[in-house]
Amino acid sequence: MRFFLEKRVNTSSWGRVLVLSVAFLLVLFISWFFFLAAGIEPITAFQIVGEEIFLTKYGWQDLLVKMTPLMFTGLAVALAAQMRQWNIGAEGQFHIGTVAMTWFALHYDGKLPDGMLIVMLLIMAMIGGGLWGCIPGFLKARFGVNEIITSLLFNYIAAAWVDHLLFGAWRDPGTNNFPITKEFSEAAQLPLYGNTSIHAGLILAFIVVVIIAWVLWKTRLGFQIRLIGDNPDAARYAGVKIRTLTILVFAASGAIAGLAGFSEVAGIHYRLQQNISIGYGYTGIIVAWLARNHPLGVVLSAFFMSIVFVSAEVLQIEYGLPISVVYLYQGIILFTVLGSEIFTEYRLRITSIWLKQRLTKTGN
Amino acid sequence: MEFFIQFLIAAVGMGTPLLFATLGGVIGERAGVINLGMEGLMLVGALVAFVVMLNTGNYFYAVAAAAIASGIVSMIHGVVCLMLRASQIASGLALTFFGTGLSGFFGDKLTGTTIEPLIRIPIPGLNAIPVLGPVLFNQDILVYFSYFCVVLLWWMLFKTRLGLNIRSVGEAPEVCDSLGLSVLGYRFFAVVGGGMMIGIGGAYFPLALTPFWVDGITAGRGWIAVALVIFAFWDPIKALGGAYLFGIALALELRLQILGVDISPYFLKMIPYVLTILVLTLVTIRHNRLGIQVMPAALGNVFFRGEKN
Repeated sequence: MRFFLEKRVNTSSWGRVLVLSVAFLLVLFISWFFFLAAGIEPITAFQIVGEEIFLTKYGWQDLLVKMTPLMFTGLAVALAAQMRQWNIGAEGQFHIGTVAMTWFALHYDGKLPDGMLIVMLLIMAMIGGGLWGCIPGFLKARFGVNEIITSLLFNYIAAAWVDHLLFGAWRDPGTNNFPITKEFSEAAQLPLYGNTSIHAGLILAFIVVVIIAWVLWKTRLGFQIRLIGDNPDAARYAGVKIRTLTILVFAASGAIAGLAGFSEVAGIHYRLQQNISIGYGYTGIIVAWLARNHPLGVVLSAFFMSIVFVSAEVLQIEYGLPISVVYLYQGIILFTVLGSEIFTEYRLRITSIWLKQRLTKTGN
Repeated sequence: MEFFIQFLIAAVGMGTPLLFATLGGVIGERAGVINLGMEGLMLVGALVAFVVMLNTGNYFYAVAAAAIASGIVSMIHGVVCLMLRASQIASGLALTFFGTGLSGFFGDKLTGTTIEPLIRIPIPGLNAIPVLGPVLFNQDILVYFSYFCVVLLWWMLFKTRLGLNIRSVGEAPEVCDSLGLSVLGYRFFAVVGGGMMIGIGGAYFPLALTPFWVDGITAGRGWIAVALVIFAFWDPIKALGGAYLFGIALALELRLQILGVDISPYFLKMIPYVLTILVLTLVTIRHNRLGIQVMPAALGNVFFRGEKN
């Protein structure tokens, strides 16, 4: 008996749904073992997580709140991936975005007319993230330096910089030496939806989704970006300025990641502190991958990954599991999706020589 | 002088995990498989070594268990990107997530526990050489093992049939396939073998550098090793030099803090990462200028047989 893979003529979209469902079941199946390893009764755990997330008002709120930064970082990664560039640095761009806006808030809070401050903070976060994203983009465009490694290493530099500021100049002396800044005034806070913790960052995220989708499919610039992604040689012959666009796309990608920082600080924390991002930037990679780098798909996959985050939170509260369980899930999800993607493009055929011989015999 | 020697001893210590990981990366990439999961594999190695050490008190078991565990975890990478033909980059990132999560998940309860670190064993005779003696030959057993690995790997890659085959499947998999070599077989072997080396690199953290458990014990060194593979031109001997250069940068961070230099400790923390980016840029510029193709030609390519597109 032999197994082999036969290329499908058309990739079936139903196949893709099936693959994703199978991947999801596999994730549940694998977490079963991890629950057992941690001494937790799996069925009860699934039940508790499901109830906490979908049957409580707080659960739904939390899903939408956690979904917000993931939409931004997912879009950031997806945009760069549209021209086949890996921006693994969304985490760092997120952080530098928060640094830039905090710098502005600490200097100009209370000195600007109403409504100005929040807009300036938004712009500052975009500039901060954008500039941080520019560096790996420039190194890639100008010298061809591997953007995966550089963009990732900038995450560590950004994290150290945030620590430097929080443990140094920006620490609020009024708060028992906690590494946090002074709280921003109300003018620097995003409005909340009714009595919930859902903030205007979510609307902003949807606006950015629409803008990016429009740019990618309705403008010349977007066409050039996608052309570079599909066929860089053709793009070069067509006279597309690949270098300029690479830097531009990295800057835009960084700016979007910076917006994630803006929405978290202005929507939730109202100050700069440690662990504002619990790996949102890294999760953006998975969000983009699950969405196949499509901005609209990012909405769905950000929601899906938000479920993972909230589940981890529930597990942390109920069972004291560390929050790093998020990374474990993310690894398992990415592996299963990657491993099963082949079946949307190929069909698994099993042939048996014995069977073939029999068939030919009966055929005679 | 004494301070300088102490500094170099620390530099070799800091460079050793990078060396193991870089060697592991070199094997895999020579066979044409990028491994961006080094950070995750090192964390798995570190956790397993720590746990085994805690329970058995035997360094050999700890290192062996770390190697085996990382080998098993890198099999996932092998299966996903070789047999299931997924993107090596995405699969490597998944490996990093998985390893980070795994070590965080099982290491959570261990935070703060300590183990007995490896002791230094001077090699009689050799350690009497001025400067080099105490720096290179008054180290722990894993450092000596890393020297051995450099030589072994160099010999294996460039002097044996096995090494020739590994390098060939990384350069021209189609040709190898037509000659009857199992491309996927050699690549799988290289990925798992490399993964084991990377795991030993991770094991060095709790066994020698920080003999207690902290979350994220490797602190991004896995990514520095990813860059070091390029910096070392995919050559085990050059990997030795590169790893120690970064060992010096890492040791500098500590020494400057001890000396009380008036720089923010957080800026000192940036040194190795900034240096990695600088060096990677310079190396890339040099590659471009020389126009030489040192990178394995089929690096990152998905290989499969029997189809014409």
